[in-house]
Amino acid sequence: MSELQSGNMTVLAERAPALATRIAATRVPATHVLGTTASGLPTLALAGVPMQHLTSPVADAERWARSTVERLQAVAATRVVIVGFGLGYHLEALAARFAGVIAVVEPDLAVLRLALASRDLATLLARVEIVAGDPAAATAGHPAVAAAGDSALATAADPAAATAADPAGDAAAGGRTLVLAHAPALLVPNGAYRRVLRAWQAQAARSGLRLKVLVVTPLYGGSWPIAGYAARALTELGHETHLLDLAPFHDAFQGLERFGARKANRRVLESGFCDVMAAGIAATVDALEPDLVLALAQAPLNASALDAIGKRGVLRALWFVEDYRVMTYWRELARHYDHVFTIQTDACLEAMGQVTDARLAYLPCGFDPRVHRPLVLDAAERADLGSDVSFVGAGYRNRRLAFRRFLDCDFKIWGSDWGGAEGLGRAIQRNGARIDTDDAIRIFNASRVNLNLHSSTYHEGVDPRGDFVNPRTFELAGSGAFQIVDRRTLLPPLFTGEELAIVDSVAAMREQTDYYLAHEDERLALAERARRRALAEHTYVRRMENLLAAVVGPAQEQLLAKRRTVTVGDVARDGEGSLQTFLGQFDPHTPFTIDRLAASLANREGALSEPEAIFLFLHQFDELYLREHRA
Amino acid sequence: MTAAKKILIVNLTRFGDLLQTSPAIAALKRRHPEAAITLMAEKNFADVCDGIPGIDRVYRVELDRVGKLMLDGGAHLVEAYRYVEQVIGELRAERFDLALNYSSSRMSAVFMGLLEIPDVRGWSMTPDGLRVIRHPWSRLFATMCLNRRLASFNLVDYYCAMTDELAGTGSLRYEVTPEAAARAGEVLAEMGIGADARVVALQLGASRAIRQWPEASFVGLGRALADAGFRSVVIGGGSDRPLGDRVVAGIGDAAVNACGKTGVGELGAVLRRAAALVTGDTGPMHMAVAVGTPVVGLFFGPASPFDTGPYAGDHVVIHSGAPCAPCDHNVTCLEPFCRDELSPDRVAAAVVARVAGDWAELESIAGTLAPARVYRTGFDSGGRFLATPLAAPPRRREDALRDAYRASFLHVLEGVPLPQPVPLGRSPGRPTVPIAPFVGLVELAREGLTQAGRLAQLARAKQPRIAEIERIGRELEVVDRTLKEHGGMHPDTNVLVQMFTFGKENLEGDDVATLAVETARLYRDLARTADCMTALLGGVAAKEEESDARLHQ
Repeated sequence: MSELQSGNMTVLAERAPALATRIAATRVPATHVLGTTASGLPTLALAGVPMQHLTSPVADAERWARSTVERLQAVAATRVVIVGFGLGYHLEALAARFAGVIAVVEPDLAVLRLALASRDLATLLARVEIVAGDPAAATAGHPAVAAAGDSALATAADPAAATAADPAGDAAAGGRTLVLAHAPALLVPNGAYRRVLRAWQAQAARSGLRLKVLVVTPLYGGSWPIAGYAARALTELGHETHLLDLAPFHDAFQGLERFGARKANRRVLESGFCDVMAAGIAATVDALEPDLVLALAQAPLNASALDAIGKRGVLRALWFVEDYRVMTYWRELARHYDHVFTIQTDACLEAMGQVTDARLAYLPCGFDPRVHRPLVLDAAERADLGSDVSFVGAGYRNRRLAFRRFLDCDFKIWGSDWGGAEGLGRAIQRNGARIDTDDAIRIFNASRVNLNLHSSTYHEGVDPRGDFVNPRTFELAGSGAFQIVDRRTLLPPLFTGEELAIVDSVAAMREQTDYYLAHEDERLALAERARRRALAEHTYVRRMENLLAAVVGPAQEQLLAKRRTVTVGDVARDGEGSLQTFLGQFDPHTPFTIDRLAASLANREGALSEPEAIFLFLHQFDELYLREHRA
Repeated sequence: MTAAKKILIVNLTRFGDLLQTSPAIAALKRRHPEAAITLMAEKNFADVCDGIPGIDRVYRVELDRVGKLMLDGGAHLVEAYRYVEQVIGELRAERFDLALNYSSSRMSAVFMGLLEIPDVRGWSMTPDGLRVIRHPWSRLFATMCLNRRLASFNLVDYYCAMTDELAGTGSLRYEVTPEAAARAGEVLAEMGIGADARVVALQLGASRAIRQWPEASFVGLGRALADAGFRSVVIGGGSDRPLGDRVVAGIGDAAVNACGKTGVGELGAVLRRAAALVTGDTGPMHMAVAVGTPVVGLFFGPASPFDTGPYAGDHVVIHSGAPCAPCDHNVTCLEPFCRDELSPDRVAAAVVARVAGDWAELESIAGTLAPARVYRTGFDSGGRFLATPLAAPPRRREDALRDAYRASFLHVLEGVPLPQPVPLGRSPGRPTVPIAPFVGLVELAREGLTQAGRLAQLARAKQPRIAEIERIGRELEVVDRTLKEHGGMHPDTNVLVQMFTFGKENLEGDDVATLAVETARLYRDLARTADCMTALLGGVAAKEEESDARLHQ
């Protein structure tokens, strides 16, 4: 070990001994090549990509640092995460200009080894925090990084476990974190740095920001409840979430029938109605000023409303929880969104990619553990809702044909659109009335075998090429209910045959039904495993985490630059004495507004504390003088 | 009441309201000659306090700042909180022993509750956050705000009554400093108004457009006054200047625009210099009164000569004769025709007559202004404000009710003897006011009085019968509910029901016997007042002795 390297390692070992040890043990691959500039300064190339300017690395680093500091100042960031260590030229220049915390994410330990061997970095190593590519290398040796959160464990591959962008840390430290790349690193062919950057940006933006999100429902249909689940999940994640529930307009929409219009006129009326809805949504956005509008499939947004929303700098995301082959309105609307999430992958994403520049990503459905859960039913409920075999859903063609094979069972069909289903009449419950969510969960729990046959309008049973996984799959699993589901190409990463009974045909579904009716223990064991898997991986909270990671990662500077909703947590940090005690009763994510604080006083009993009385005064002041002005 | 040493007056309203506090301050000084009086006012309006005699200290609270901070929101809300906390801390440190809150709002009630002052009168708050209105005259004021057409006392008299001292000053008070007078003289001179010019001041603007006489009417007035040899000086704030320019342009050379050129002191001096002021119900109107300049007030919309008329003798108020006048403070009239019923020429004639002190001519003019009514201001034998109609217009139903309420409350609250009952009945030219609703109210109140008396007796027993106490409590709830329904069904009586309701809201503590006695007093007062109303409206003698006897059963 050279004297230079020894000196660097000594400094590093003082701060991060485990990391120093791992760097020392790292082998340098042949793709990593050191060189020198004409003036003798060390250079590094990874797979042929230079990690600094080849002739003037210091001057180039200073230019980069100046522009970086401007970006940091623009969003009032107090901490920066830089992806890519290189030989540290850019970091030295930045450290000289930026007084905040600098954390460096370097997924490749060999790069660190070469940097420490080629340049005197003792000062830099004492100044910056290094988050290395290995969890063990980023442990408690980095107090500044650790100070941002409750754990010092950081891994470049899994920023969720790291702390530089931890939300609590962000709030505790009272600043904002910006995640940036050292540009040359992004050119490294294997894409490792690019992936790391995306992950860190997403984590920083997602957790360091409390977003204001407007979730827009459709008027009705299968995606309507998902909007509610998504909104609740976003709230659980700490974001200020507003659900624009358009269901109250459904009756009016249906009322258009009263005009008795011809088909063409009827379409004009429906289109006009949807235009009004879209204008209403745009007006809501105008009033609410959210960061993100998340529209569920069939939310009545049109191109002009979406464009108007976009012009306000509001991110637009569509969760298209539909079969893209059946519902094709995405062809006109996808290009007016910034992000489109689908429940299908390859062909779907490719098709959408041809009509939109929006970012596209696969995001399967999920379940809400507060809604879809095991229930203890009483005897009356079991008698009413229970059966050996059941199905809850709409009467699509393939189901009408397939379920005839189950009529010799104790079989109940629940749900709508079963009119005219020949031979199934005996099984259809409540004359084919719509089943609400609460009853659906009870039926799931009351049925020994729940059939889950994905819909098709043109198959007689199982769609052999069916891809997406329907919400019922997750909801049954989350409810702890046993299900037999038809095979879907996208099912394997989500559930296995150890958790669900998966079949390729209706005949197999019938056979499996008999088997599991006869094997109670196996049935219960599968249901339990499915529930555990669902809880671990398929909640809507997890889905929203993934959605936000995709949405806000690329927009972190845009979002950071916007004025944020101040929360109780923000001000409680600075509060003292009785004010802090009063604020301590609130969830830290509660928006710090006079209305929210006053609402907490509405039904209280006993003597008011001084902070309560002062906020009551301010609330009365607001009502007397400001309400009209604000409106 | 023992003499107070440190008194706080809270008045967070506008500068006209602050001027209307001046007689109450004089009254406080008489009753508590050793007391130091602090007046808390909004900073933007507080300058007027410097000219009000008797104020030892003006505490300027920056509500504007609080508003800006709250509109900014977020962390600025903490700044607003800290500011209020600071104000409360400073006022608490003063250890006031008496406070009078002249701002009738929930906001001010919370504020007063925070100050920890032993004797608070007006709107305040219990430790549990409930509103209370302490002092019967403050409750009466709150009641009359909800029954404006029957309001019979001037705001100043409510303020004074809360001091437990009669006004007796006969006017609002404001002292113009020599410096302000000199500056005002310069302002007028710069506009070509010499010392010998005969000047009428015109206040064009008002806090709300509905209180404001139309621009064209003011132009007509100015021209008519010019014909009579008067120069018009348009007064107002800077924001009134464009309106002033238009009116001055319409009047011609006889008018000048002083809007925005005078501070509060100079305004007082300009008004003192004027022979008269023509104005709506505005702050400058009260300033003119305070400096002794005759006012011809034009009262439209929600303005009522009875409750905010110029508080001194021999001013003139022309009040809309619209059947809906005065309108409620909280409504927005979409067709304010009441502003258009006055002829500028006739108003000018009234101004000229008032300047000349020719009340016979004013009587004559009043007859030509119908349906508008013309009032001459003055005081009754007890020193309380009266607005007396000129030209004896037809007496209306609400006039009879207003007078009856005035006499009834003076009798019940202050012991002023009732006037001789005048049988209104079916006499020609007299309005008919059914007395049955008042009789019904008396019966309900006596029922409540009886039950409350029994409750008090039961609660004082050594071994209270809980079930019986609870049963009576339920019966009293029924009585109260019936009372409220009665007030709703018979609006003439609603003043009494509302007054009673405010009184019930005021009851504090958890000692059943004490609460029962206090409740009985409220029923008794209700019965007495309703009895008085019955007597005054129906010509039947009040049955007070019987009510009193029931209370002591």
